[in-house]
Amino acid sequence: MRIESKVVGRYLVVKVLEPRLGADRAVNFKEAMWKFVDQGQKSLVLDLSSVEFIDSTGLGAILSVLKRMGTDGELLVSGASDAVDSMFKLTRMNRIFRMFSTVDDAISAPV
Amino acid sequence: MKAMILAAGKGTRVRPITATLPKPMIPLIRKPVMEFLVEHLRNHGVRDIVVNTSHLAPLIENYFRDGDHFGVRMAYSFEGTLVDGELQGDALGSAGGMRKIQDFSGFFDETFAVLCGDALIDLDFAELLRFHKERNALVTIALRDVPREQVSKYGIVELAKDGRVVRFQEKPPVNEAKSTTANTGIYLFEPRIFDFIPAGVEFDIGSQLFPALVAHHERIFGLALPFHWLDIGSIPDFWEGTQLLLRNELPDFVLPGTEVRPGIHAGIHLSVKWDEVDIRGPVYIGSGTSIAPGARIIGPTVIGSNCVIESGAVLDQCILADYTRVSSVAALQQKIIFGTKCIDPSGKYLDIEEGQLGWIVDDARRHRQLSDAESELWEQVHSLY
Repeated sequence: MRIESKVVGRYLVVKVLEPRLGADRAVNFKEAMWKFVDQGQKSLVLDLSSVEFIDSTGLGAILSVLKRMGTDGELLVSGASDAVDSMFKLTRMNRIFRMFSTVDDAISAPV
Repeated sequence: MKAMILAAGKGTRVRPITATLPKPMIPLIRKPVMEFLVEHLRNHGVRDIVVNTSHLAPLIENYFRDGDHFGVRMAYSFEGTLVDGELQGDALGSAGGMRKIQDFSGFFDETFAVLCGDALIDLDFAELLRFHKERNALVTIALRDVPREQVSKYGIVELAKDGRVVRFQEKPPVNEAKSTTANTGIYLFEPRIFDFIPAGVEFDIGSQLFPALVAHHERIFGLALPFHWLDIGSIPDFWEGTQLLLRNELPDFVLPGTEVRPGIHAGIHLSVKWDEVDIRGPVYIGSGTSIAPGARIIGPTVIGSNCVIESGAVLDQCILADYTRVSSVAALQQKIIFGTKCIDPSGKYLDIEEGQLGWIVDDARRHRQLSDAESELWEQVHSLY
């Protein structure tokens, strides 16, 4: 699982570098993300701009990160492609996550 | 007047719908486009219709059979071969298909119409025929004015004052178009046309037959009549066509079913408590469908037959094929659900199986068996929502 992370202000921006976030990648993704959460990260931006395909397993992994963060955590999603955005909308997960077109939009958004 | 319907095309621009369905069978509010045509021809006195078929031929042939239940007589000219149990098409072209029919039986022994099986039209054939006879034409083309900025999508025709065709331009750039009158692919021919169509080779009406006729100074006429012409040539066309019919904007078209509530047309044998469903028309609901209390449906929407709409599901401007199950966590906005595909009006689509989306949208006949990931997600979405 290739991911890249950097601190921007109070956010940790995590970029997924895989084109597909499906069953074969979801477990690794989840573990990597949980690690950040367990280290005490309360504000995450998940940059999906390189992801072209996501399935239910991938969506589930993202949800599990939110759950792990608890009620005081903040997980923003940015850069979803049309296909990925469609999946969020179909499952109504676009109402659970705040979604932005770019990382910059996400980090400058009012809380 | 006799007629030939061209139904042998592959319909690549309407994929993924035409992966399992030939273009003439694409349903507009559950009724194949070609059925509208057959009825329209019948209403204009056409009794005998031959259809050339190829791609997925049995779906057309088994639907229309001998035409008896549509009040006409129908036959099929199959263009292909059966190889290892599978039908394979042999392209003959539109004019080549006509020639094959003529060589087989001499079917065309009077003025006849040729039209595509995948466009919805309400053309006045009586008027076209009157004009054709009056001009003593060999061919009369039904024309329609199109906006100038769209000429490059069409075959453009330049006419003399008496309606004689002076020139054809195939998809000209806007600044080079000699007119804004487009060829609709609907023609009247005299049987003498076969003098100009070679046997046994692929031959096209627009690009080969017409240039040959022009070279021989034959009498080709065109008549521009105001009529609706809805070419179902792409997913956006299919979307637009369905919306137009739902909004009742095609005068000759009557929505099927009964109007059970204002703007809500439905078939029979439904399981719906109308007062417990939030539903706004125009909506058509096919027979045998169940809609659970708490579902929300916003038109223009078509729900096929034997669908299952669960409590809490949201359908906002959708077209669902028969036997679609929409789960309680689904929110479908401007979607076409067809087979295993979830299609946007633009033509982009997701594969429901590939995305493991069976827990959102599925075939209603399947016993729902969620994978662990799907059940987990289902639980989570439910608990968070």
